[in-house]
Amino acid sequence: MAETTYIDAIRRALGEEMERDANVFLMGQDIAAFGGAFRASKGLFEKYGRLRVINTPLMESGAIGAALGAALVGKRPVLEMQFADFVSCGFNQIVNNVAKTYYRWEAPVPMVIRLPFGGGAGAGPFHSQSPEAWFAHTPGLCVVAPSTPRDALGMLKAAVRDPNPVIYLEHRFLYRREKEDLGEGDLLTPLGRAHVVREGKQVTVLSWSWTLHESLAAAEELAKEGVSVEVVDLRTLSPLDEETIFTSVRKTGKVLIVHEATITAGFGAELAARVADQCFEHLDGPVRRVAYADRPSPYNKKLEQSLLPGRERITAALRKLARY
Amino acid sequence: MAATKRSKPPPPLTPAGTDPKVLRRAHFLMRLSRAWDSRFEAMARVGRIGRWYSAVGNECTTVGTALALGANDAISTVHRDLGAVLTTYLDATRLAPALFPAGDATEWDALRPPPQSLLDTLASQVFGRRGGFTRGVDRSFHYGLVKPDWGIRHVGMISHLGSMIPVASGLALANLQDGNDRAVLGFIGEGATSQGDFHEALNLAGVMKLPLILVVENNRYAFSTPLAEQYACEKLSDRAPGYGIAGETVDGLDFDAVHAAMTRAVARARSGEGATLLECMLPRMRGHAEGDGSYELIPPAEREEYLKQDPLARFEAALLARGQADAARIKEVTEVTKAIIEDAVERALLTEEPELAEATRPVFAPGEVATAFARQSTEVTGG
Ligand SMILES: Cc1ncc(C[n+]2csc(CCOP(=O)(O)OP(=O)(O)O)c2C)c(N)n1
Ligand SMILES: [Mg+2]
Repeated sequence: MAETTYIDAIRRALGEEMERDANVFLMGQDIAAFGGAFRASKGLFEKYGRLRVINTPLMESGAIGAALGAALVGKRPVLEMQFADFVSCGFNQIVNNVAKTYYRWEAPVPMVIRLPFGGGAGAGPFHSQSPEAWFAHTPGLCVVAPSTPRDALGMLKAAVRDPNPVIYLEHRFLYRREKEDLGEGDLLTPLGRAHVVREGKQVTVLSWSWTLHESLAAAEELAKEGVSVEVVDLRTLSPLDEETIFTSVRKTGKVLIVHEATITAGFGAELAARVADQCFEHLDGPVRRVAYADRPSPYNKKLEQSLLPGRERITAALRKLARY
Repeated sequence: MAATKRSKPPPPLTPAGTDPKVLRRAHFLMRLSRAWDSRFEAMARVGRIGRWYSAVGNECTTVGTALALGANDAISTVHRDLGAVLTTYLDATRLAPALFPAGDATEWDALRPPPQSLLDTLASQVFGRRGGFTRGVDRSFHYGLVKPDWGIRHVGMISHLGSMIPVASGLALANLQDGNDRAVLGFIGEGATSQGDFHEALNLAGVMKLPLILVVENNRYAFSTPLAEQYACEKLSDRAPGYGIAGETVDGLDFDAVHAAMTRAVARARSGEGATLLECMLPRMRGHAEGDGSYELIPPAEREEYLKQDPLARFEAALLARGQADAARIKEVTEVTKAIIEDAVERALLTEEPELAEATRPVFAPGEVATAFARQSTEVTGG
């Protein structure tokens, strides 16, 4: 069977959902005939035309606001930010308008904002960021970050169908590196459910997206050293699947949180606080984090690599934690 | 004097041409809006409500534009657009049957709900009560009402001025996608034209030929800031050609001119010719919010000039001069509208505060995400 890459899984999700529901439409920069900076929508413009695959001018705030207007009268917009970094230009629309609408007057806002994010490509300070914490901090937004093609497909489809705004973080480094055989059918992944990817007994790793894969590699390394590591793919950051997280931490008694975003006030801080609060009696060591240094992402690849929380740093942190 | 830019005496009223049914309804709605403001201004003066942003002076523009729309055209309003809200929501002929001859009711009126109940909800909304559109979680005009069965598509504001312009463009985009001929009317103050969202939304409207009419209520000040400190072009409608859309500046004291310009803009929207930027020049008849000291900042001579330019007084003078109403009719409309508002306010004041549980009501619409949110143990307080 042919293997599907992460980016192809996204394209398949968009195509299937557009086919299923005529209210679903795409909006973004260069997404029509060109198919998007990463070709996520390639072929869809030819099939669905200019009113369902809308090339916008170079704009973020105005596009997100327009998507909100359309959503309020029954459409289901899926927006692509060309790079996640540019979502800051639409921040006000997301956190003040989109996120607060349902609470304020109970109008559902079915909308997906796709954010191609993350580093590892030597793309510098403005094409490498991981902005999940900005949005997880805002009530009213669902924030997801799938790490596999299967979940990229299933969670995007679920996000399109949910009546709420979903911030969908897709890691550019995974686009063409992750592949799997997906098979046919209407494949959905539930939103708000974490996934225990690797079972273990001594340490729990909580992670998502690219660092999830690095964590799995580190867990493999630790296994060779006789340390059994459980790896949980959070998949959805907000709302958080506390049940799966707490069950794992209570079992292993130790937790390492790994994310690519900068460490201070990163989403890991929230996880650490919740674990400390709810799993205190079960903890046999400090709640630790491995994350990006509090710096913008440098352009030179060697400089960037020195800051990325890759498998070596995760492995070292796991070794230390296992000794408690 | 900086602030008097464009405050030359207005040109004479354009000749009457408007349908008597439209004039009757317009007069009633403008008076209703004015009565509401008078009541709330009075309450603000004695501290019975915290803040009131008066729409006195805006009525001709809000009512004159909104009256040119039909069922399921959409409106997007900000803080001085009570007149447009009333125009969109209310079947005036059922609210004050004695004032309207049979035949004044429109097809849209047949779709609209009983007007009294909507007026009561609106009054409760403004007081932050249980019976309001948001049941106490957001203030005055910060809500929407999208009820296609009633022919009403209204999206209210958030505080961030300018933010609703793209949303209005999105309402227009949905019309384009559905292939219908409906128009969208968005309102903003001239202050919001300095926001980036103004540019982004109008640029998109130009590129996509969106059926959008953006009305700028230019009352010559944004809070305390006069026009000369806000923009350097002569008229704000001068920006329209820069976006490839139609632009017009009209005298917001002149009902016929406003209504006619809006009718032209609606025709453009319906026929696929695209968007219009319609600037209405208004007298600054009140301060930013009642009692906030901003009115005192306007030079006294200029203030007096504005107060003389009351668009409602001019409208009534024109009705009299043209023989479209007599003094008794004007008095009757004034009294009836005052009584309607008085009643609605009294009833709203008797309603209950919201239940405390409203504060923690869901942030997500029912579905998988809402269920997951409800499962979080440390949600509300963290223990
Ligand atoms: C984005 C934003 N910045 C600042 C404010 C504070 N503010 C509230 S009303 C106002 C002036 C608005 O002026 P204008 O748009 O001309 O409307 P007007 O009140 O004159 O009708 C300001 C600055 C705001 N509400 N939103
Ligand atoms: Mg103003």
